[in-house]
Amino acid sequence: MRMTLNRRHFIGLMGAAAAMPLVARRAEAATPFNFQASWINDAEFTGYFVAADKGYYKEAGLDLNYMSGGPDVIPESTIIAGKADLTLTTPDTTITAIVEQGAPFKIIGAQYQKNPIGIVSLAKKPIREPKDLIGKTLAVPPVNVVSVEAMLKISGIDRSKVNIVPYAYDPTPLIKGEIDASLDFTTNVPFTIKQAGEEAISFLLYDFGFKIFNDTVVVTEETLKTKRKEIVAFLKASRKGWEENLKDPTAYPKQFADTWYKGTGRSIENEIYFNTAQKPLIESSKGIFSMSEEAIAANIESLAAAGIKAKRDHFDTTVLEEV
Amino acid sequence: MAIDAAGRRGRHLAGLRNAIILIVLWELLGQLKLVAGGALPAPSAVLIRFWQDRGDYPLHLLATFEGAALGFFIGNVVAIAAGILFAVSPVAARLGRGLNVAIFALPPIAISPILVLTFSGMTPRIALAALGCYFVTMSATVTGITQTDRRMLDVVRAYGGGWVALLRLVEIRSALPAILSGLRVAAPAAVLGSVLAEFGGGGRYGLGVYLIGSLGRADPPRLWGIGLAATGMALLVYALFALIEARITHTTRAVTVAATPPGTPLAIGGFAGAALTLISAALPFAVWWGFLKMLGTPPMIAKTPLGVIDYLFFAQSAETAQLRLLSALAQTLPLTLLGMTAGLAFAFALALASVVRPGIVRSFMPVALVTQTMPLVALTPLLVLLLGRGPSVILWITVSVTFFPAFVTLAQGLGMVSRSALDVVRAYGANPFIQLRLVSIPASLPYLFAAMRLAVPRALLGVMIAEWLATGTGLGNLLNQSRGYLDYGMIWTVAVVSVLISILFYQIVIVVERRVLQRRGMQPAS
Repeated sequence: MRMTLNRRHFIGLMGAAAAMPLVARRAEAATPFNFQASWINDAEFTGYFVAADKGYYKEAGLDLNYMSGGPDVIPESTIIAGKADLTLTTPDTTITAIVEQGAPFKIIGAQYQKNPIGIVSLAKKPIREPKDLIGKTLAVPPVNVVSVEAMLKISGIDRSKVNIVPYAYDPTPLIKGEIDASLDFTTNVPFTIKQAGEEAISFLLYDFGFKIFNDTVVVTEETLKTKRKEIVAFLKASRKGWEENLKDPTAYPKQFADTWYKGTGRSIENEIYFNTAQKPLIESSKGIFSMSEEAIAANIESLAAAGIKAKRDHFDTTVLEEV
Repeated sequence: MAIDAAGRRGRHLAGLRNAIILIVLWELLGQLKLVAGGALPAPSAVLIRFWQDRGDYPLHLLATFEGAALGFFIGNVVAIAAGILFAVSPVAARLGRGLNVAIFALPPIAISPILVLTFSGMTPRIALAALGCYFVTMSATVTGITQTDRRMLDVVRAYGGGWVALLRLVEIRSALPAILSGLRVAAPAAVLGSVLAEFGGGGRYGLGVYLIGSLGRADPPRLWGIGLAATGMALLVYALFALIEARITHTTRAVTVAATPPGTPLAIGGFAGAALTLISAALPFAVWWGFLKMLGTPPMIAKTPLGVIDYLFFAQSAETAQLRLLSALAQTLPLTLLGMTAGLAFAFALALASVVRPGIVRSFMPVALVTQTMPLVALTPLLVLLLGRGPSVILWITVSVTFFPAFVTLAQGLGMVSRSALDVVRAYGANPFIQLRLVSIPASLPYLFAAMRLAVPRALLGVMIAEWLATGTGLGNLLNQSRGYLDYGMIWTVAVVSVLISILFYQIVIVVERRVLQRRGMQPAS
């Protein structure tokens, strides 16, 4: 018992030490603005890390509390539960929740103009387009099965001709040839595969007609009413962080090796690869996070193929106009 | 005495030799990439990777240790207190039965996201670790107390001792070996519970968090390093309690056989009995409801019992929901039964072997422990490469999550067999097999049934994990997909249905157990 207490005490102290700058920051603003990320700390969120470290949120009068995600963190749930004010989601799950459960969500921006998810395969057994999947085994995270089915439908491929199995975020079965392809972030996995001594080839679902955003910025209708000012400040500071980061995608990951990326189990080279690869998917002529009318229409059309009844009303572009 | 000491040293040497053979074999398999094209890394590769990663580990280990240790402590204190209460008061035992089984049958993969949503910080880790410990220790406590030698109780009673004196002087002492073996099984459960909650908790540190970051790297040595670090933690606690248990068991085992059968539990029949059963069945629902109301979780996420009924029968989508549920059950149930049978058979064979050939079983124990604490996610690539994505991978995973608690219970039952009863057959020249057949197996029947009851919900959990990770079928897949699509009604439905199925099987075991044991004048080892 005594030992447990000592350990706790020790951990508590370490936690306190780690939280010091955060506490100091919090003393200035009354309530922190809670931001739930959609995955663990990797390059996908570099723009926010830059904005936080450079003080952009503070300049905008925001006390940001950054919450890391993970495979079991359901971002939408954290904003319903009131644990977070704003989160990043995939539009298909968010809109399904709005349509089928009456969830009070609004999509107010999109980090990725083009969804980075795609089909990754080995160059020695390449799958270059949807029709190459016929007769093959494809590993897909269960939540993305609907997206893949929609892509197959758009490409006119019989769903029953593709063997879809669950994907558990480890590319080993692909590298060893147990599966022929997997669905993953094309900005990330090809690097790992190369490290393992194989050459990867990939295509985006986006390029084959399934044109949806990803990491859509989502808030509840309630928060949109009560914290509009903070939300605008968040988007403004985050946009600035992303612009700064994308100026040279190789610059920032190195600086975060001992802070944001510490102990994640991933390598900095991996983050640089990711950060570079995601640049064209994030940048937009109308500014980062923007949602053009054509893009929204493409989202609605693609989701309809997946059996998800999205409406223009689910997207709110007025917040971005204030940024 | 001298012979005894030499024999013990010989056994230790044999154990060491077997362990070395095992590691050398593993090294060869890994180096030559004989298993699944190199997906099983050699121990040296794991160690080298571990050394390279040594800077990453301390913070992750500390965080997991904190969650697991606090959960282990809280869960076991509650479990022992509850176990004593249930052993002393038959009414409390009847009332608590529904709640106990429900807690045991809760599938961690279903409640982890719910815990993560409702609590923050360390709490989900501690809660999941504590839940993992509760049932094992609680039932071990009850078993230990109810198996107390009646004659000792009679002595205390004859001197006017009340239930407090009975508890203090006899029952707790005689239950100690059972409690300690419960704590032993609880240790890996606590570590795994903490890692599982970390996996979904979105914190910065913990072995589970480290595992998520490493999964995408296609780096089996790293994954094994993390899994073995978790195993090492569990192994230390396991060894600690095994040591204490070995010391204490010698002083508490009866030297002669009791001539009278143990007393039968208080039978409460008629109206009062029916009322008790009803309350016992209603209690889990009441706790579920009260808990949600207390926490104030929004109703869209937190479904009350009525919410689940509404979702399944009256809501607009009720018909599709039913259809999805039933087709998932049709895939999951047959494999659950098969996996449970296989897991129990394996545990029984292993327990018997531990009597006849203790050396072999001892050197197998580290491997067995690895299967308990290695997060299955880390092993998925290896498993699908070896076993494919059909029923066989489901069966293997199910056996691996089922056999361990059953084995410990059975081995303990066999170890508690009265020496004097064994001496009788030994004096007639019986070899170990005949000793088993005539004395040990019949005497440990209550433990066999206890092991069966332990295996029921775990088998279902094993099948669901395999479906979630490898095959993409059945309840496991349904749960995972519903989680992704924020279909909270279905998440709760799957959790509730899996608990109900477990309780149904559990009740069937109890009915059979009562028949068999009554005929033999034995007490169930609850």
